[in-house]
Amino acid sequence: MEANEILAKAESLRNGLSTGFRDEIVKSLYTEAETIAKRAVKSISDKKYDFDQKIDRLVTSPYAGLPIMLLLLSLIIWLTVSGANVVSGWIAVVLFGIGDYGRALFNQIGAPWWLTGFLWDGVYLGLAWVVSVMLPPMMIFFPAFTFLEDLGYLPRVAFNMDWLFKKTGAHGKQSLTMAMGFGCNAAGVIATRVIDSPRERLIAILTNNFVPCNGRFPTLIMLATVFVAASFPPALTSFIAAGTVVGVVLIGVMFTFLASWILSKTVLKGEASAFTLELPPYRRPNVSRILYTSIIDRTIFVLWRAMQTAAPAGALIWVLANIHLGDSNLARMIADWLNPFGLLLGLDGVILLAYIIAIPANEIVVPTMMMVYMGAGMMINGPTSNSAIFDLLVNGNGWTMLTAVNLMLFALLHNPCATTIMTIYKETKSLKWATLSVVMTLGTAFLVTFLTASIARLLGWA
Amino acid sequence: MTITVWLVLAILLIAAIFIPRVGLIAIYKTYRATRERELVEDALKHLLDREQHGRQASPESLAGTLNLQRTRVMKLIEDMETQGLLESRGANLHLTTQGERWALHVVRAHRLWERYLTDEARMPLKRIHGESERREHSLTEAQLNDLDAALGHPTRDPHGDPIPTREGTLLKAEGMPLTAWQAEGPVRIVHLEDEPALAFEQILAAGLRLGQTIRILDRNPQRYLLTDGETEFRLAPAVAANVSVAPLPESEVAKANAISLAELTYDQRAEIIVLDEAVQGFTRRRFLDLGLTPGTVVYPELQNFFGDPRAYRVRGTLIALRKDQAAQIWVKPV
Repeated sequence: MEANEILAKAESLRNGLSTGFRDEIVKSLYTEAETIAKRAVKSISDKKYDFDQKIDRLVTSPYAGLPIMLLLLSLIIWLTVSGANVVSGWIAVVLFGIGDYGRALFNQIGAPWWLTGFLWDGVYLGLAWVVSVMLPPMMIFFPAFTFLEDLGYLPRVAFNMDWLFKKTGAHGKQSLTMAMGFGCNAAGVIATRVIDSPRERLIAILTNNFVPCNGRFPTLIMLATVFVAASFPPALTSFIAAGTVVGVVLIGVMFTFLASWILSKTVLKGEASAFTLELPPYRRPNVSRILYTSIIDRTIFVLWRAMQTAAPAGALIWVLANIHLGDSNLARMIADWLNPFGLLLGLDGVILLAYIIAIPANEIVVPTMMMVYMGAGMMINGPTSNSAIFDLLVNGNGWTMLTAVNLMLFALLHNPCATTIMTIYKETKSLKWATLSVVMTLGTAFLVTFLTASIARLLGWA
Repeated sequence: MTITVWLVLAILLIAAIFIPRVGLIAIYKTYRATRERELVEDALKHLLDREQHGRQASPESLAGTLNLQRTRVMKLIEDMETQGLLESRGANLHLTTQGERWALHVVRAHRLWERYLTDEARMPLKRIHGESERREHSLTEAQLNDLDAALGHPTRDPHGDPIPTREGTLLKAEGMPLTAWQAEGPVRIVHLEDEPALAFEQILAAGLRLGQTIRILDRNPQRYLLTDGETEFRLAPAVAANVSVAPLPESEVAKANAISLAELTYDQRAEIIVLDEAVQGFTRRRFLDLGLTPGTVVYPELQNFFGDPRAYRVRGTLIALRKDQAAQIWVKPV
């Protein structure tokens, strides 16, 4: 028979098919697979199965389920933050050492000051800063997260949390992409591929930024330590600081739910769609696979994208700090110009400038702020002691408690970094959703900080 | 200096208006042509609809459906006659063979879109009609065939209306209105009329859906009282006329004693009888992929502390389903 004849025959036979014939096809496939499996696979005991069931009962039980979840998440974040500090120091010593060497070399061969400055204090410093601050937390967070993933625990989290997400029209697996967001929002956006229905996936993508990532933790921790914890006895400092950061994270989670709910009532209207979730048996984690997926697929991938944007940002920062007009530089002038708007939001011009420059990578917010406050020509770490930072910000630059609180809120809610925006664009293949992700978060940040500032001023607190 | 600026502006302005294809005039012309085509297609649909229900179409009925002035409608009819799409015989309008072909194309586009929006985009039922009204005018024959194949050649739209085949055959609508049904015993809902939208929303709000097995408990001029064995539904007679029913097919008889997966108690074993007919497309494929096929034995094993979702043991694996999903799988306890 000719191909066309066969097609025509198939076409004519199709109308005679019963409606359930597809179910029958799948059923026969499964029956076949079952016979083969029965012949080939022997199960000796149910021991493993019973053990799995016991763990499942425990991690999904009303009393233990939630605490276990929070405990594991806090443990991972604590490991990341404290471990990263140490490693960051080492990497910084090496990379900044190379910078010093390069600068010296350039001076020796008599390169003009602006070339040395632009290359070493601008481009190279931006790169070095981002790598030293970004790499260590990712190298700790991602393997730890992948460990839980490989263990089979993460689907149970989605199972526990689904009820809440269902209420907001989202998918339970969004809890996983949010957890991933703590590591890096761009990675969180990529992780939404596990959500198979398009509507819920978009919600997860657009709201992922409300979870603060590694790059924003340093800002939050610095503010929590210098402003909130400072008024408590020294023994409690670290606990109060950690508690404050957890509080900020919870506010972010609240905003995630709120935004998911609003999105599913407006632009992403629709029914909560098919939720099917496989809860795989617990497995012994495979170390080499963990290292591979977490280092190659996640860390290197994200770091590479961040480096592409950090180098131009470093160059821009140097240019702004080193073009002098009169007795002020360009950075200072832009900051002064932004100041009225900043004050309206309970922030100031320098903070806004730092956030505009830090669109490529949030890691450089604090060093850029310190640079402008201290009138330096390149990004710097700022004073080493907490009291000196407090003195610089409050007595030197007019900060109040309101500035600190609003900066924490702004750091939590503001627009995604360039890497994340790029990733959202690549994942959704749509300029529209990428734009919405920026407008939505930035709008929320402006609105919330404006409201807190206005209320605080009305009540006479600031 | 100023004159040059103004001159450049003027040239730009003229270009923006007159440039072919992207200029304002060209855009306006395309818009008019599209709008005209939509009108023609809506008119064709109206004529086909009337013919199928054995009623005559007239310029008046057309004007009413399209919401147009009489003069505008007469102009439209004249245009369509010159294009060979319809003939007027006396006061009545009839489709030509060519006109019917086109009309079937539009109806096919509309119903395939509805299927797509329900099964793949998972849009709520009450919104698909309006959305499809907008989208039905834009697809070519080849695109429609692709959509048809991608959806697995569905035969009925989500309201139960038959979808025309690519050859242009259109099956008769199944069943009869609830108000005309006289016999006793259970019946199956085979069609829910989506126009007018208000009546359709009432049907959905009452909780009725396609493929449901119901029994008429009571009927009087004020209301119809229906039941599916558990819940009672009330409908005004005018709304009940928009629900069509047919005798129970054999597969439904098997379902008669079945309960839904969501009703099983903890650790209660049951055999899957059938997946609900309302589940199509994406969700159905997902269910089947996970091994939730008829004949499979399943039981609830793990409960979320909020009660929903629950995880079921299926073929040795643990699958979590939300309550509304589990309610679409019919099982018989074993």
